[in-house]
Amino acid sequence: MSERITRPQIPMSEMTITPGSACQGCGAALAARLAFKALGPNVIRHGIPCCPDSVTKTPRAGSVFEGGGAMLTGTSRALKALGRTDVKAVAFFGDGGTYDIGFQGLSGAAERNENVFVITKDNEAYMNTGNQRSSATPKYSRTSTTPIGPKSRGKDTPKKNIPFIFAAHYVPYVATASVGYPEDLIAKVNYAKDIEGFKMLIIQAPCPVGWRFDPAKTIEIARSGVQTGVWPLMEIEHGETFKLNYKPKELKPVSEYLKPQARFRHMTDAEVSDVQEFTTNRWESLVKSDESGRIII
Amino acid sequence: MSYEVMVGNKAAATAVKLAKVQVASAFPITPQTTITQYLSEMYAEGSWDFDFVNVEGELSSQVVVQAASRVGARTFTCTSGPGLLYMHHPMQGTGSGRLPVVMAVVHRGYKGMQPDHSDLMSQQWTGWGHQYVEHAQEVLDSLLMAYKVAEDPRIRIPIAVGYDGYVLSYTAEPVEIPDQALVDSWLPPNKPIPSILPDEVDPSTFARGWGGGDPQMPWKIHHEAILKIEDVLKETMDSFEKTFGRRYGNGMIETYMMDDAECAIVAMGTIAGTCKAAVEKMQKEGKKVGLIKLRSFIPFPYNDFKEWAKKLDGFAIVDRSICPGKGGPAFGKIRDALYDMEERPKLLQFHAGLGGKEVRTHDFEMIGDKILNYVKGGKEDQITWV
Repeated sequence: MSERITRPQIPMSEMTITPGSACQGCGAALAARLAFKALGPNVIRHGIPCCPDSVTKTPRAGSVFEGGGAMLTGTSRALKALGRTDVKAVAFFGDGGTYDIGFQGLSGAAERNENVFVITKDNEAYMNTGNQRSSATPKYSRTSTTPIGPKSRGKDTPKKNIPFIFAAHYVPYVATASVGYPEDLIAKVNYAKDIEGFKMLIIQAPCPVGWRFDPAKTIEIARSGVQTGVWPLMEIEHGETFKLNYKPKELKPVSEYLKPQARFRHMTDAEVSDVQEFTTNRWESLVKSDESGRIII
Repeated sequence: MSYEVMVGNKAAATAVKLAKVQVASAFPITPQTTITQYLSEMYAEGSWDFDFVNVEGELSSQVVVQAASRVGARTFTCTSGPGLLYMHHPMQGTGSGRLPVVMAVVHRGYKGMQPDHSDLMSQQWTGWGHQYVEHAQEVLDSLLMAYKVAEDPRIRIPIAVGYDGYVLSYTAEPVEIPDQALVDSWLPPNKPIPSILPDEVDPSTFARGWGGGDPQMPWKIHHEAILKIEDVLKETMDSFEKTFGRRYGNGMIETYMMDDAECAIVAMGTIAGTCKAAVEKMQKEGKKVGLIKLRSFIPFPYNDFKEWAKKLDGFAIVDRSICPGKGGPAFGKIRDALYDMEERPKLLQFHAGLGGKEVRTHDFEMIGDKILNYVKGGKEDQITWV
């Protein structure tokens, strides 16, 4: 498990080149800035179609949208063949390339326990093409393909539990992080980068344009996601060992997270209660897992 | 040098071993399957530094070799029919990326599992070099030559070598295996251009992204690089013969009994071998017809067909694939090659061997008789389904 760090331990050197091409208040650009700081220069960054969140001072490999896992595999195997295992094959993918179109290849890479590091900036919809729903979109969220109308209340199913799905591949390391908790995010990158085998970090990256909130509030939204238990910060090793990294005595009500985001503005009190119940139940099970140190589903 | 009786798929795997491929990746599909088994056995033996990635689908196998080639490893993948269609999307990136991947395509048609050339023919727009071969020895030799050509700094283009499933993939023939030392000296290790390693990479590529420059220019450069394969393949065929004592025409085409021929049958793949037997028989009977085996479909041997057109009265062109509504691809390209000539030979189009339909020597005799009759002014159908 990662070791806690303090803010002064965050590296000063920047790997991202500014100005980037991201929107104001982009959570994904911040996720890239933090993650690549911790990774340092000796990486090949792998990209597939996603928001153009950032440009980093690293060589860059690209391939087809559905090919992320295989691309990392090829790079990692070739680096081994050439005796260059000092170089790390790192992905910076979106939720589409992780949860959906890229899922098969990533599942294959995880099952083969390829020596790769997958970092996902999860902004909970296909933001690059204009906020269409993905399987990372939470229930009731309004997107351009789940509009609100007499027959639709937004997305009608919950967000896919991707950390647990990848943990079920028994890979060395799966964790979640949030741009609202940079020390935790960097600590996890520091820990994961030197693990041999498949490691994955899913970073929740609020998107002011798609989630529809004031771009100045990105960090507030990210923090409230964690504090309400909607986006729990956790680590899972070998599909078994479990740790919650943020565990308040009491969770804040989910309405604090939902209210400032216009994507949830249409929600009725009953729908908010539905999300609250789902979140509370899930949180209780995570706390049990954390207390026993092992996943209890 | 040694001999072994082996099936076409083992000849392909043997070429992978001789070329000391560093990273291979494939997903099993009939009739390519046994290549993946041979490669797995080679990995288990560990006789050279070889990594074989058993992926979860063909698309991933193409992306694995694409990425490994970009880092600088020598790579190999292989597939058949539907598997090739599944990897269509990343094949574009391997082509555009100018990555010298070599792939064996063990032909399998779409309508059923038997061989025809529609799988590889459907990939003409992916920016690869495409070759069609006839027998197990040619599979081994062509794959070795494919590395030499693909990795040439003047080329840097991926090459697909196609051979018919079952009749070649699962049929045993005696194959001469070249000495490893000889292959090592003839085929030096691959050198990546440019490097993607952090300590070697050109920093100007960091901010590579959308837009900038003439969007058409990459297509022009890519097209011109593929055209250069013609000269490099011919040069490689000469050096291959010098080193290993075998050759297959000039690499682009291989001719058989064409010295006194007035007409040529044009065929590709294993049925070209059947045609050789038919041509021998016909020439004994005084019929002046020979064979032009079309080996390289991309780039297309325009120059060779123009040269032969000056000497011949007619071509009978046999396509083992069809673009429905458009016709046989080899027929179309040959007619295209001859358009600018003042005097053009006569052409007949034949569809044969589609869906694995058997093509026998007497079919080729019929084809030969038709073209000989046609050039003498006889009446023949423009298109014949054999």
